[in-house]
Amino acid sequence: MANQKSNYRADILLNVGFICAVLFFIASGIITYVSTQTLQRDSALVVKTHTVITAADDLLSTLQDAETGQRGYVITGTQRYLDPYNLAISQLDDKVATLDRLLDNDPSQSRMPAIKAHIAAKMQELKETISLRTDKSFAAAEAVVLSDRGKTEMDALRTQIDGIRNEETQLRDQRLTEMNAAYQRALTSGILAAIIGIGLVILIGLLVQKALADRQRQEWLQTGQVGLSAAMFGEQNIAQLSENVIKFLAEYTGAQVGAFFAGEHLTFERLASYGLPADAKLVEHFSPGEGLLGQCAKDQKTFRVDDIPDGYLLVGSSLGQSNPRHMVISPAIADGVVTAVFELGYFQVPKDLALELLSLSANPIGVTVRTSYDRTRLQNLLEETQRQGEELQVQSEELRVSNEELEEQSRALRESQARLEQQQAELEQTNVQLEEQTQVLEAQRDDLNRTSQELEEKATDLQRTSRFKSDFLANMSHELRTPLNSSLILAKLLADNRDGNLTEEQVKYATTIQAAGNDLLNLISDILDLSKIEAGHMEVNSEKVLLEQIQTNVHHFFDPIAAEKKLPFEIQIQPGVPDSIQTDSQKLQQVLKNLLSNAFKFTETGVVKLNIVSHELGFVSFEVQDTGIGISGEQSDIIFEAFRQADGTTNRKYGGTGLGLSISRELAHLLGGNITLESTPGTGSIFTLTVPTTLVAFIAQAPTAIPEKLPLTVGLPDAVPPPDLPDDRDDAMKGGRTILIVEDDETFARTLYGLAREYGFKCIIATSAEKGIALANHYVPSAVVLDIGLPDYSGLSVLDRLKHNGRTRHIPVHVVSGSDYAQAAMALGAIGYMVKPVKAEELATAFADLEQRLTRGLKRVLIVEDDPVQLESLQLLLGSDTVETVGLSTTKECLQALKTGTFDCMVLDLSLPDGSGFSLLQQLSKADDSSFPPVIVYTGRELSLDEEQQLRKYSQSIILKGAKSPERLLDEVTLFLHQVVAELPADKQKLLEGSKHRDEDLKNRRILVVEDDVRNIFALTSILEPRGAEVEIARNGREAIETLERSQKVKGRDIDLVLMDIMMPEMDGLTAMREIRKISHWKKLPIIALTAKAMPTDQQQCIEAGATDYIAKPLDVEKLLSLIRVWMPH
Amino acid sequence: MSIKTEDIEIQLLLEAIYLKYNYDFRKYARASIKRRLTRAKESLRCSSFSMLQDRILHDPAVFPPLLSYLTVQVSEMFRDPEYFKAIREQVIPYLKTFPSLKVWVAGCSHGEEVYSLAILFREEGLEKRTLYYGTDINYQALEIAEKGIYPLDQIALFTENHRRSGGKSSLSDYYTAGYGSAVFDKSLRERIVFSNHSLVSDAVFAEVHLISCRNVLIYFDRDVQDRAVGLFEEALAYRGFLGLGSKETLRHSKYVNSLEDFVKEEKIYRKRDVA
Repeated sequence: MANQKSNYRADILLNVGFICAVLFFIASGIITYVSTQTLQRDSALVVKTHTVITAADDLLSTLQDAETGQRGYVITGTQRYLDPYNLAISQLDDKVATLDRLLDNDPSQSRMPAIKAHIAAKMQELKETISLRTDKSFAAAEAVVLSDRGKTEMDALRTQIDGIRNEETQLRDQRLTEMNAAYQRALTSGILAAIIGIGLVILIGLLVQKALADRQRQEWLQTGQVGLSAAMFGEQNIAQLSENVIKFLAEYTGAQVGAFFAGEHLTFERLASYGLPADAKLVEHFSPGEGLLGQCAKDQKTFRVDDIPDGYLLVGSSLGQSNPRHMVISPAIADGVVTAVFELGYFQVPKDLALELLSLSANPIGVTVRTSYDRTRLQNLLEETQRQGEELQVQSEELRVSNEELEEQSRALRESQARLEQQQAELEQTNVQLEEQTQVLEAQRDDLNRTSQELEEKATDLQRTSRFKSDFLANMSHELRTPLNSSLILAKLLADNRDGNLTEEQVKYATTIQAAGNDLLNLISDILDLSKIEAGHMEVNSEKVLLEQIQTNVHHFFDPIAAEKKLPFEIQIQPGVPDSIQTDSQKLQQVLKNLLSNAFKFTETGVVKLNIVSHELGFVSFEVQDTGIGISGEQSDIIFEAFRQADGTTNRKYGGTGLGLSISRELAHLLGGNITLESTPGTGSIFTLTVPTTLVAFIAQAPTAIPEKLPLTVGLPDAVPPPDLPDDRDDAMKGGRTILIVEDDETFARTLYGLAREYGFKCIIATSAEKGIALANHYVPSAVVLDIGLPDYSGLSVLDRLKHNGRTRHIPVHVVSGSDYAQAAMALGAIGYMVKPVKAEELATAFADLEQRLTRGLKRVLIVEDDPVQLESLQLLLGSDTVETVGLSTTKECLQALKTGTFDCMVLDLSLPDGSGFSLLQQLSKADDSSFPPVIVYTGRELSLDEEQQLRKYSQSIILKGAKSPERLLDEVTLFLHQVVAELPADKQKLLEGSKHRDEDLKNRRILVVEDDVRNIFALTSILEPRGAEVEIARNGREAIETLERSQKVKGRDIDLVLMDIMMPEMDGLTAMREIRKISHWKKLPIIALTAKAMPTDQQQCIEAGATDYIAKPLDVEKLLSLIRVWMPH
Repeated sequence: MSIKTEDIEIQLLLEAIYLKYNYDFRKYARASIKRRLTRAKESLRCSSFSMLQDRILHDPAVFPPLLSYLTVQVSEMFRDPEYFKAIREQVIPYLKTFPSLKVWVAGCSHGEEVYSLAILFREEGLEKRTLYYGTDINYQALEIAEKGIYPLDQIALFTENHRRSGGKSSLSDYYTAGYGSAVFDKSLRERIVFSNHSLVSDAVFAEVHLISCRNVLIYFDRDVQDRAVGLFEEALAYRGFLGLGSKETLRHSKYVNSLEDFVKEEKIYRKRDVA
């Protein structure tokens, strides 16, 4: 520090010295400059004075020259003498002016006017004389000269000039004196300045020298420090460090020997030495306070020991040995702790500067030593860590190798297992399929077997039955007709009584026999026609039958039998029974006879009665009562079956074919009645034949066609209602075209009926909506004419239901109504519309149209394509017997065609000469007055996603032209032609729905549909838009977020609700919802997730990702709408 | 008797898996599922299926390894090259007439088939208008599929398959090899959606034009097979295509009449037209 201070002072002194020197030189410079200036000015003045004098003289001499010229001329008259004069005149003015200028600011200037006047006068005189000499004569000139006018002027002039000269001379002397004085002054000041300057330079030199010495000291110290730093630089271990430090210090400070001790934990050991002999006995280590070194460590001070005694330590080389005389011991300190001590020995007294260096070094060395120790420790630790790390690495490498081996093995194993598994599964699958096939085959075989067995059995049955029947019939005809024939002939002979030997009574008997025989013959004929009965070919003749006649006939027939069996036989006609009934007499009597003969047959004792009773409901009963053997309850059913009697044994005892009762019952049915039986075994039976009093004539049908119950209407959802008005429904099933008229106004219905029949339709009439639907369902008519105002509900709903029933939706419906529902009806799929009152011609046209449509069965396809070759080939491709094609090439034509006609399908090229297909479709969707068939877009260019989406609004099918496009076009056209009228263009459906269910909750609300599937987008849009909601579409999560961001920027365009699909490209729904929920503004935005996944966890995932609610696909429209209503913010 | 007890245990185990993890293996082909469960049981060191059930119910960490045993993850790119050849030569010309296309690989496992189709479609110039769905129930497999990294030693086979399928370019154009693996071009991945979807329980998610579901139905029993085919039928666009594995057939399916043979040898079916 002292050093620096002195350095600083020296610097200041040096600077002050320099400043003084500079100031001095400036001052002396100024003085010298001023003196020089004075000298210069004075000398200039002297020169000026001299010039004035010269100028005055020159002026005078010029005048004199002029005068000389004048004189010469005057005397000689020769022009040549005038030359000096002329020269003088030309110079004179300049010279006067020169003098005047020089005299500026001079005291002599006052003389100038006088001088000028004199010059002018003299010049006048000269001029005069010359002109006189020229014009007149010498004498005249001489006279003027002689007048002395010129001389006087000249003299006066000379006097003035002399005056000037004198004054100027005086002035010059004065100036010269001043000049001298100034010179003296300058000299003196110069000498003085030189002396002072030399002094100053000496002083400065001294100062510089001192500063230089300080610098050198400082530099030495600094160099020492820098050297020391260099010696300690880098990451050295403590031994190297000690070596370098002691070596450097010894060499730099000129020591001959040195030793360096360092240590931690209060013990210092010798780590390095310098210049010490190898055999020197030296302290190896010490503790603080131990010896001089220990003391130094304790005191933390540098100290010098001088005059070391001989033998303290010997320092030597090969040339000799000597004792160091002086010694310095110094500590190295770091943060107040001694970390090292070093000792240096010198032959000469070490310089103070060396000691200073050593003190200065204490701290850096201390710190470095400590750092070195720390570093050593750190190094050890690092090495340890490194070793451990390497060990780990080795282990992990080994592990990885074995792992990889294992993995490889397990992968191979797994793969082969998986392959095996798959093969096995495949095998199993094949097995299962084979088994299934076998089973199916077996089942089919079994079925076949069973069926064929059944068939065989049935065939056998049939054969047996028919054999029985034919045997029986053959027997009967043979067995009965043969004896009957002879009986009849004999009876006839008896009745004729040719011999006259018979009593009247006997003749009567014979007649009766003949009558009975004839009856029998009739009966046999009937029996032989049993197949006829069963086939329903038995004829029934309704005629008037007197009951009395019946009674008589029965008596005639049975009285003999009764007499023979000694049984009383009574016939009672109860009161109230009409005299006659309308029925088939023969069949009635046949039944009665059958029943009565049975009664007589099975009755041994008692009575046989025939009671004829009347019923209120227009029926008459014939009760045949006997007191015979009777029939048990179980048997009462089977006795009516053909060839059966109550008891297998009865046959033998009573005889008979067992056919009687079944024929009777069939006959009773034919007569519109039936036979019932009340019987108690052992007591008797009552067979009751009930027939209507009036038999309605109808074509006999098979017995099964007179059902006890109505046939089941299997497969027909609606029962067929009975007709309200007479119509052709009974013929409806017999083929031909049928029309169903649904109209509650009977008069109008009748009109329509008549008109329909005129056009060759069979006509069914329904007077209510419900009946209309039921009849349409049952009869599936060719066409329907429908009224809107029906008593139960609207005709529009009838139309709707017809169009939503697969059985009826293909039926063309023509609407006739009192009010205008044209748009709605057409949208629902009606083919035509008329408003009441309808003119007959209109109706006729409508029916003609229907008729034509039905006759036609042709499908019409509209093709819009501008390339004629392409158009022709398309027409060839699509046209057929059942498909009529109409080819057009411009949008204008197309619009016109759709306005005037209807088509089943339309194939549209997108690029047309007068506008694009896009705009055509848009126009069509807006035009209410033209039909809009399903559209197939057929285009040669690829479409962007946006374009495709736009087209999808109007067209369900888009085909790009290519190798396979004709096939696909044919596929798609076929699809549309098979779709029925009910599949309305979506736009009309929307139009209708728009008017119907505008849902307040959804009106003008903005819903973002995030969905990538075009079909779903279309479906959702067509659900939401008709309800007044505005729908925005995003095709993936990223677009959804962008759309939300965009909507947020525009006021009033905020999205109210989001429908979010989950499976989407780029960003899926779950991620999108998480992203949306990250933004505070959308924390409460309702998001309904649409998921195809059905598991509770999947739905949980949706909720966790931020969905407000979810709905599983496939979407239930009502459920979706209610969810939207629930979550739509109010 | 022991066989019967085991079957009960398996039934219960499958029920437990369904209730706890919502993976429905109950309707899988029983023989195969039994074999796979037996292997899982052994490798997870369980003495019985009941013990496996116990572990499954109480330690969710056991489920992932079990799942990988239950789902057979094996495939290769362009497996059965003839199948891909048939798609390339006979199906693609039809697909070219659609303005935009969707392809669904049901049971995509590690995604080899999805990438195969994506490569095929790129070669046929349909890539830009096609979106691919790869679905599977094993999320671990889906993770692998999303990465599109396959062991290098399989590439030789893939390359051969690709060549035999009528590949128009070199397979090496689509992958980068290094560190023993081959990474497939990320640009192929751009139009692929990998998603977890179960044919047993989930519904249709999109209208698609081509479905490839190969060697998946063999693991199902009849009911689930019918359900899956029903989903396909519903998802397919009018006249769309369905490809099945070589041993699979629709002959016994409920939907045999809604789909017709298109390439009979390769089990490619087509949705029937209305006529």
